[in-house]
Amino acid sequence: LCRGGLAERLCRLQNRERSAISFWRHQCISDDKIPSDKSGVLIVKILEIFEECTIQVAICQQLEQSPVTLSPEDAVINAEEPILKVLFTRETAAHLKSRPQDVIHIYPPWQKLLLQNADVPVILNTYFSQKVLLSEHSEAREKTYGLTKMLIRKNIISLAQTFRLDDLDDKLHQDPSDNQVACSPQIGNNGDSKQHPLALSAVNDSLLEMVESQGAVGWREVQVRVVIQRVYCLPAREGYRSHTQGNKPLLSNGGMFCRLCLLVQDAYGMFSEVQLQSLSSTDDIEQYCRRWEGKSCCLAGMKILQRTTRGRALGLFSLIDSLWPPVVPVKVPGQSQDSEMMTTNLPPPSFCYILTVQSGEIHVEVDEEEQISNLYQPPTVHGLKEILRIDGCNERCSFWAQVLYRRLQTKHSVPIDQRDILLFVTDSTLQNVVHGIPKVVAVSVTASCVLSVEIREALGAGSRLVFFKDALWGNGRIICVERTVLLLQKPLLCSAAGADLSELTGPVRLDELDSATQANSVCALRGTVVGVDESTAFSWPTCDRCGNGKLELCPQDRELLYCSQCSEVVTTPVLKMQLEVFLSCPSRSQSTVKVKVWHEISVALFVLLTMLLFLQTYEVQSVLGKEVGLLNCYVHSVTSHPNCVALEEIVLL
Amino acid sequence: MDGSTLPAVAEELLREIKRAFQQTSGGRDTFSSRLKFIFGPAAVPALDLVDQRSVTRVRSPSGRTLYQVLGSSGKLYTCYSSCHFCTCPAFGFSVLQKSESLLCKHILAVYLSQAMGACQELSVSEEQLTNILLAEEEDEG
Repeated sequence: LCRGGLAERLCRLQNRERSAISFWRHQCISDDKIPSDKSGVLIVKILEIFEECTIQVAICQQLEQSPVTLSPEDAVINAEEPILKVLFTRETAAHLKSRPQDVIHIYPPWQKLLLQNADVPVILNTYFSQKVLLSEHSEAREKTYGLTKMLIRKNIISLAQTFRLDDLDDKLHQDPSDNQVACSPQIGNNGDSKQHPLALSAVNDSLLEMVESQGAVGWREVQVRVVIQRVYCLPAREGYRSHTQGNKPLLSNGGMFCRLCLLVQDAYGMFSEVQLQSLSSTDDIEQYCRRWEGKSCCLAGMKILQRTTRGRALGLFSLIDSLWPPVVPVKVPGQSQDSEMMTTNLPPPSFCYILTVQSGEIHVEVDEEEQISNLYQPPTVHGLKEILRIDGCNERCSFWAQVLYRRLQTKHSVPIDQRDILLFVTDSTLQNVVHGIPKVVAVSVTASCVLSVEIREALGAGSRLVFFKDALWGNGRIICVERTVLLLQKPLLCSAAGADLSELTGPVRLDELDSATQANSVCALRGTVVGVDESTAFSWPTCDRCGNGKLELCPQDRELLYCSQCSEVVTTPVLKMQLEVFLSCPSRSQSTVKVKVWHEISVALFVLLTMLLFLQTYEVQSVLGKEVGLLNCYVHSVTSHPNCVALEEIVLL
Repeated sequence: MDGSTLPAVAEELLREIKRAFQQTSGGRDTFSSRLKFIFGPAAVPALDLVDQRSVTRVRSPSGRTLYQVLGSSGKLYTCYSSCHFCTCPAFGFSVLQKSESLLCKHILAVYLSQAMGACQELSVSEEQLTNILLAEEEDEG
C-alpha cells in the first residue's frame, strides 16, 4: 500500500474500528443489560428485511423510546412514526440475527445518508448495534420466527446502469481533460497576480492532516495556513550538498552553506520546521526576521524530510518549549470547532515534522501585508541578571547586550568563519549591581550558529549592542547554537519582561581578580610587580601601515624589511614587545599572578622597560615594586598546584 | 418497498465523495469509513489503485471513452464507461454470478478516480480504441 495514501489511512481506520467494535460487543455480552448512556442511540423496529449483495437492508420504524415499557399489543405500526432504511454489514447481521418485529438499538457513531430522489433516509455504519429483547416473549418469538427465510434480492444492478457523479443542477461543466481539482480563491495572496502552475484547493489549517495525506491523491494541491514563529538559518553540512543541487548558498562564507528556515505553527498548535531552499543570497537574515516573523503564510506541496522527536532534536525542542503553551487557544483535533478550544493543560509537543520545499516552484507564500497573527510569540527579552538566575537546563533566552571583548578559538585547522567565538557581554542589569553576580558574562558562539558577514564584522569592531535571539542557557553558560540569531537591531516586537534595556552609562567595569575567578573569563586587576619572566620577553617589528607582524627581509636589500600584505618595503616599523610580569595582587594574594602585557597597550609601564631592554642594560630591580593600575585581562588558565593564574592584558571593544 | 436500495446508496456516496473532495479535507475519514461500510472488501484495494493513479481514461476522437485500470498483478483491465462492466474475473464471479458485490475494485477505483480528479488521460486513435475493445474479446475466447 502506498505510504500515507488513502488506502493506508482507511486500513488504519478500519483496524481502529474493528477493535472498537469487538470491544463493544464484548462489553454488551458481559454487561447483559442495556447500557445506560442513551445519547445518540437510534432505536428502531424492523418491519422488513432484504439482503442486497451481502448487505442487509432493513426497513424500520424509528421509535422514540425504549419499547420495554410498551406491551406487545401496543407494538402496532404507527403510521406517523418515521420510516428508515437501516443497512447492516454481513457480520453485524450475523451477530444480530434480526427478524421482523425485532427492536434494535443502534449506538453512535452511526451515520445518515439522504438520497436525492427518495424520502427515506438511509442509516449506515451500524456496527454498534444491539438487539433488545422483550424478555417475557423472547422464547415464544424464537419458536415462531425461527426459520423464516430472508428475501435475497439478486441482480439489483443492471449492467446498463452507471453512477452519475455530477449533480443534475451543477452549472460547472467538468472538463474531462482537466484532471485537477477546481481552484478556489486563495487566501493569503501576496497581492501580485502570479499564475500558479498548480491548481490549489482550499486552504487547510492542519499540518498533521497535510503530512498524513502525503502521497495520496491530491496532496500536492493542499495548502496549509500557518503562523511563522521564528526565522533563522541552519548550516547545511557538506553531506547535504547532493540534496541541494542547483541551490545557491544563502550566506556562503568560505564554503559553509546555509538554508533559511522557518519554525511554523498551525491552528492546532502543532509545530513544523520548514527548510527553504535559498531565496536570495544578497538579503540577510535580519531582513527576513523583520518581514516574516509573526506573519501568516501558506505552505503547499511540502516534502517531508524527517519526523523528529524530542529525544533526537534537543535544540529544536528547546526552541519549541520556549513557545509553549500557545498564547491563544488552539483547536483540538477531532472535536467540533465551535465548542471551546483548550490551551492550558496541553502537553508540549513530543514530535515535529521537518519539511522542505520541492525543487522548482516556490510553495511558501508569506502574507507580508497582513497583521501580525495572535498566535505569534515574540522573543521575551530578559536582562542578563535574570537570565543568570534561570533555573534549568537548555532554556532558550533572548537578551540585548553590549559586546566587550571577542576571542576566537585558536584551532588553526578550522577556517576562521567556522571557529567558535567567545564573547564577553554585559548590560545595565549586571553593571549596576554592587556585588553577588558577575559584571560580565561569557557567551560562546558555536560554529553551528550562523552569523552573517555584517555581524561578524560588527563583533570585531567597536563596542556594539547586539540582540541575541533564542540563545541557550544551561549549566551556568550562555551558548549560541543552531537556531540562535544575532541581530544588530532590536526587533520591533519583543516583550521585555521587566528588563532594563537602557544604554550603559559610564565606563564598563569588570570584576576584579579574586579567588573565584575561573579560566576563560575576563577580569580587572591591580597589583605590584614582583618579577619579570625574562625568558619569554621578546620584541618584533610590525608594519606601520597594516600591523602585519610577520615582516620579511627584503630580497633586494637584506637590511630592509618587507611587508607581503602591503607588498611594500617598511621603512618605519613599529616595534612591539611582549613581556610577562609577575604581580602580587591583594585581591588574590595566595596566587602567583603572571600577566602577559603588550607594549602598545601599557605605555606607562613600558616606557621604562623599552628603553632598558633596547639598550640591553635593563635592571629588573628598577621595575620591581612598580604599581600596576587597573588592567583589563583575559584569564588563560588557573591552576591550583602550583597556585597560579595566567592572564593576558586585553583591550575592551 | 419496491426496487433495490443499494445502487442508489452507492451512487449517492460517490457523489458525496466528489463534493467532499473539493472542500477541505476534514471529512475524509468520514467518507472513508462509509466507503468501507458499503463496498466492503473492495474499498481498500480500490483506494490503493487510486493512490497509485492506476486509472486511465482513454478517449478517441469520436468521443468514445473507456477506462483502463492497471491491476495489482500488472494486468490491464478495461472498464466500460457507458455500462457497468469490467473485464476482470472478480466481476464475472462476484457481481454477475453470485451477486455478492455491487462492483469490483476496478470499477470502484474508476468512480473514485473520477470523483477525486485522479484519472490519467490518454488520447488514442479510433483504430487503437477499437483494438483495445476487440482484444478483450479475443482473450476471453
